[in-house]
Amino acid sequence: MNTPQDNTRQENGGLRCSEVLADLSAYCDGELSGSRRAAIEAHVRACPDCARFGGAFAATLRALREQLSAPADVPADVAARLAAALRRSRTG
Amino acid sequence: MTSDTPTDHELLTAAAGGDAAAFEVFVVRHRGAVYRYVHSLTKNVTDAEDVLQQTFLAAWRAAADARVEHGARPFLFTIARHALHRLHRSHVLITEDTVSLEELGSRAGFAAPHVTAERLAQAVEERAILAAAIEDLPPLEREVLQMRDLDGLSGDQVAAALGIGLEAMKSRLHRARLRLVAEVRRRVPTEDCL
Repeated sequence: MNTPQDNTRQENGGLRCSEVLADLSAYCDGELSGSRRAAIEAHVRACPDCARFGGAFAATLRALREQLSAPADVPADVAARLAAALRRSRTG
Repeated sequence: MTSDTPTDHELLTAAAGGDAAAFEVFVVRHRGAVYRYVHSLTKNVTDAEDVLQQTFLAAWRAAADARVEHGARPFLFTIARHALHRLHRSHVLITEDTVSLEELGSRAGFAAPHVTAERLAQAVEERAILAAAIEDLPPLEREVLQMRDLDGLSGDQVAAALGIGLEAMKSRLHRARLRLVAEVRRRVPTEDCL
């Protein structure tokens, strides 16, 4: 089994695993240049560990956005006191 | 107003002219997000409500000067953040740890062959696990994750609201996401994580 230390030295597609790790967010956010993106994808095709971890990372971001992005409204009593405070500020 | 669903800009422009009903629509639209933001940082309902009220009172007063053409959340979060700092004399948000990226990755399961993407992907589909994992993030990381990934602000908007540069924001966000995966992983049954 590779240890994390071994894995940071593993090189595929011209990149080490540690470089892929560092760029995962930028990759998911579409912020990388075409050549950097291609290098990451080449690395991931040849590196099962990075493929597995990259998949889990991306799945987490997807779930985060799908499940938790819509905030619940405030509790009714909080909403009522907020409205009252705004009314007071306008009339005071 | 120009449509059935007025923009934040239209609502605040009307509010600046004294239209209280327009401001009420604005408040209803955003109060949940502001409350979630401040509550996630204070973990205290009284403080969260105090900051919520301060935020919208300040927004009403500043309606004429607000720049919200691209949405009002950055404007509101910036006000809320300042109110939060005043309330807690900056103690809530100051902790930034120095764990290396590789260590964070390792905690998240990077290079751990027995943690399958499928098992982690199952875990993150459980809303309770994901919500609890967010709660265990350090405040600075919870804050950036919420603004960028939950409220959908752009990188530039988040950086501006946090008062930091874009690259610093990206770095903090990446650490937050890795730590989130680590916190989810910590909640996966041990035999799946060895």
